[in-house]
Amino acid sequence: MLNNAFLHFLTRMLYHQKNKHIGAILISILVIFLLSAVLFLSTSLQTRVQKTLKGQSDFTISRIQAGNSISIPYHWVDKVGALNGIESVVPRVHGRYFFTPKGKSFLIVGVDFFDEQNNKLLKSIVGTLDLKVFLKQDSMLVGSGVSTFLKQHYFKNTFTFKTPNGTFKEVHIAKVLSSKSNLFTNDMIVMPMHLAQEIFGMMENEITDITFNVPNDAEWDTVIEKIYLMFYDVRVVDKREIQKAYESLYNYKGGLFLVLFLVVIFTFILILYQRYSMVYSTERKEIGILRAIGWSINDILKLKFYENIMIVFVSFFWGVVLAYGYVFFLDAPFLSSIFLGEANLKNHVHFLPVIPFGLLGSIFLFYAVPFLAAVLIPAWKIAVTPPKEAML
Amino acid sequence: MNVITIENMHKIYHENSTEEFEVLKNINLVVKKNEMVIVSGVSGSGKSTLLSLVAALEKPSSGKIIVLEELVSKLPDIHASKYRAKHIGIIFQNFNLLESLSVETNVMAPLIHSGLTFSQIEEKVQYSMKLASIEHKATQEIRLLSGGEKQRCAIARALVHNPELILCDEPTANLDKENTLKFISLLETLQELGKTIVIATHDPLFDTLTCVSRVIKMENGRIL
Repeated sequence: MLNNAFLHFLTRMLYHQKNKHIGAILISILVIFLLSAVLFLSTSLQTRVQKTLKGQSDFTISRIQAGNSISIPYHWVDKVGALNGIESVVPRVHGRYFFTPKGKSFLIVGVDFFDEQNNKLLKSIVGTLDLKVFLKQDSMLVGSGVSTFLKQHYFKNTFTFKTPNGTFKEVHIAKVLSSKSNLFTNDMIVMPMHLAQEIFGMMENEITDITFNVPNDAEWDTVIEKIYLMFYDVRVVDKREIQKAYESLYNYKGGLFLVLFLVVIFTFILILYQRYSMVYSTERKEIGILRAIGWSINDILKLKFYENIMIVFVSFFWGVVLAYGYVFFLDAPFLSSIFLGEANLKNHVHFLPVIPFGLLGSIFLFYAVPFLAAVLIPAWKIAVTPPKEAML
Repeated sequence: MNVITIENMHKIYHENSTEEFEVLKNINLVVKKNEMVIVSGVSGSGKSTLLSLVAALEKPSSGKIIVLEELVSKLPDIHASKYRAKHIGIIFQNFNLLESLSVETNVMAPLIHSGLTFSQIEEKVQYSMKLASIEHKATQEIRLLSGGEKQRCAIARALVHNPELILCDEPTANLDKENTLKFISLLETLQELGKTIVIATHDPLFDTLTCVSRVIKMENGRIL
């Protein structure tokens, strides 16, 4: 139990010796800040992936021949829909449209705007959309990266696509997709399916992929098997694979940083240990004096423990708070480009605030335990030497 | 009543090595309650070591040291700390104060683990600082004090827990004449308060003081 006198002495010690601790506190804050920022980033990205995939269809069928994607006949939609256990079968047209003058590309997704599944998804990323107005003329929804890029190149309300047969197609920009979904929709253009078919030079009875849901999880593998039996040249991707791919990508990047920072923590702790055990003679003298005036070894260790646990808490608190601000308010400049990679169009991702309490707890332990050990072990070594010797 | 009893005590540094050095040889000494004993001798005669052994800051190689009926020569570490915290007040030659802290906090230090309440501790600290005439510098940091003020702070710290035995190791070595005289007058007050005082010094001024009960001469680790 801490009494008032001990607390008074402890706070006096910390206040008067603040210059002694400031270096350790600043380095600790920096290391905790970097570690927490990486953790916040990777957890936020993973959560965003999970949330986005939640609204997506369970499966996507595409057709592959000789390693290349080819179009799917429209009547396959009915064939897939006829299988037992399958719901919400939706045809889609998608592909990359290259804006050759600038070497950039857009991901065009052509969907049926009257389909219930598509409508739900669109609502989540674009809000309310008046379909009557939207479909009155050739319109599209663009990702915020596309919107910025087009504005920079003087396409304010419309953009003209060049079709493979040499004609031009002017499409009205109806709305910009929410920047919250930038991780996926930054370079995306969503438009009616017939428009996408026209831009890609496809026939009306051709699509690029079919999406569908299987409500019963236990049936997933059976359904995949049935589709492979029905169509010999298709590839079926389920959303678990996509989720795993993203998670492992962010885990891998985050893990790399973690290893790097753990090495930094280890080095810092080593330096701290050396500082306390060898160089710091005033520390030795102080311990010797306290022992000489009647403090026991336990009393000394108690003082050093509380002194340093306060340093640990202060550093940890500020490191985490600064990292939170850096990632969730400033959107992690520098670090975000490392995590998201080189983007086709400049991407400004707003990170979803998520606090991984478990991981933060682990960082605290990884940092606090070696920190305290680095201080307490040398302090204990000094405390057990005869006070007269320590005071020299 | 005997406050200190030392019997056949030896202290050897670097025992069983080529650098073995016997710093105290067959010491026998008795100090009675309320005595003021001066241990004098040249540097290296063993006076400071004798005081550290009485304070249980180190252990003798052989022999017995009994202080206030407690065998301190064999005290385990935890008991040695308690013994110092309860019975001993030490004034060191170079004061050994916590330089970055204030006078008040330094004086308070021996009472932190005493179990007293904060207000009781504050009361004792005020009394002790007043006794040592340093209360006007209570909030001042040690590193900003003069030698004499540091000395008074060390005295206040040595008295704060009301010890029966006060050990002074070369207390006037870093003081000018004026401060030395002030210190001597304070020692007289302490003796009047019933304290037993042992002073290790080579300052000849102490040999002539009327309040001094005995002067013990030391040479090459022996009491003459």
